[in-house]
Amino acid sequence: MTVILLLFILGLGIYTLFTKDLLHSVIALSAISLLSAMLFYILHAPDVAITEAAVGAGVSTIIFVWIIRHTDRKESDS
Amino acid sequence: MKKSAVGSVFALLLISAVVLPVFLSSYQWPVTARDHLELKGVEESGATNLVSAIYLGYRAYDTLGETIVLLVAVTGTIGILKKAGAVLEDRHSFALPGEMRRANYMRTHLLEAVTSKLGPIVLLFGFYVMLYGHLSPGGGFQGGVVVASGIVFLALGSSGNASSALIRQDMLGRIEAVAFLMLLILSISGIFTGEGFLDNPLKHYSSLPAAFIIVLNIIIGLKVGAGIGVMCIIMLGKE
Repeated sequence: MTVILLLFILGLGIYTLFTKDLLHSVIALSAISLLSAMLFYILHAPDVAITEAAVGAGVSTIIFVWIIRHTDRKESDS
Repeated sequence: MKKSAVGSVFALLLISAVVLPVFLSSYQWPVTARDHLELKGVEESGATNLVSAIYLGYRAYDTLGETIVLLVAVTGTIGILKKAGAVLEDRHSFALPGEMRRANYMRTHLLEAVTSKLGPIVLLFGFYVMLYGHLSPGGGFQGGVVVASGIVFLALGSSGNASSALIRQDMLGRIEAVAFLMLLILSISGIFTGEGFLDNPLKHYSSLPAAFIIVLNIIIGLKVGAGIGVMCIIMLGKE
C-alpha cells in the first residue's frame, strides 16, 4: 500500500514539475499532500496526517492559487 | 533543458549525500528518552496522546519558540501584502457585491453555496481537534490550522453584507494578539507558584493533570487559527 502511494506521489510530483499550466501543477501538489496524509496515517502518525491535510491541501493551495491569480497562469517558453 | 538536467542530477546527489548516512550507519539510536516517555509519559503528564504531552509538557519551550516564529511569519506576510495590496486591490477582489460579479470570475454560486455550508462544520471539527488534543491525535497547531480553513471557507462563502464578525481582519488580529499575550502570561505563571517556566502552575492542586495542556492547546489553537486565517483573508482581498 505504501509503495503504491509513493509511486502515485512520485508520478504527481513529476507531473507538477513538467506541466505548463501552473494551476494544474497546484492541483497536483494538493493531491500529493492528500496522498502523503494517507501515507502518514498508514504509518501511524495521525497528528502529522491532520497537519499535512490541513496545511498542504488547504492553506498552501489557497496561497498558490492567490499567487496564480495575480500573475500568469501559463508558463512561458523561454 | 540541459542546464536543468544538470541541476536536478546535482540536487539528487546532494540529497543522497545528506540522507544516505542515516540509512547506512549502524549507530544505535539513543533510547533513554524514548523508554522514559513510554513508561512514565502518560502518568506524568496525564495526556493519553504522547505527542501533545511532549510538545506542551516536556518540550513546551520549543513550542513557545514555534509560536513566535509563526507570529513573525504572519506579520511579515501581512506587511508585504499590505504594501502590494494597494496596487492589486481593485483588479479583481473576492469581496465584490453581488451586482459586480462580472469581474469576479473565480467565485461562483457553487463555491459560495458549498463553502458557506461547509465552513461551520470545519470550524467545529477544528475546535474538536483542538480541545481533545490531549486524548486523540491533534492538538493546538493542527486544530488551529483546521480552524483557519474554516475561517477561509466562511470568508469565501459569505455574500456581500451577510458577513460574520469572524472573518473581519481586525477581529482576527485581536484574537491572535490576545492569545499570544495569554500564552506568555501562562508560561510565566508557573514561576510564581514555584514550578518553573512553562510548568503547570497548579500541579499540586488540580486533580486533572492534563488541564494545563488543554488550556495551552486552546490558546495555541486560537492563535494559529486567527493568524493563518487573517493571512489568507488578506490574500483573498477581503476587507
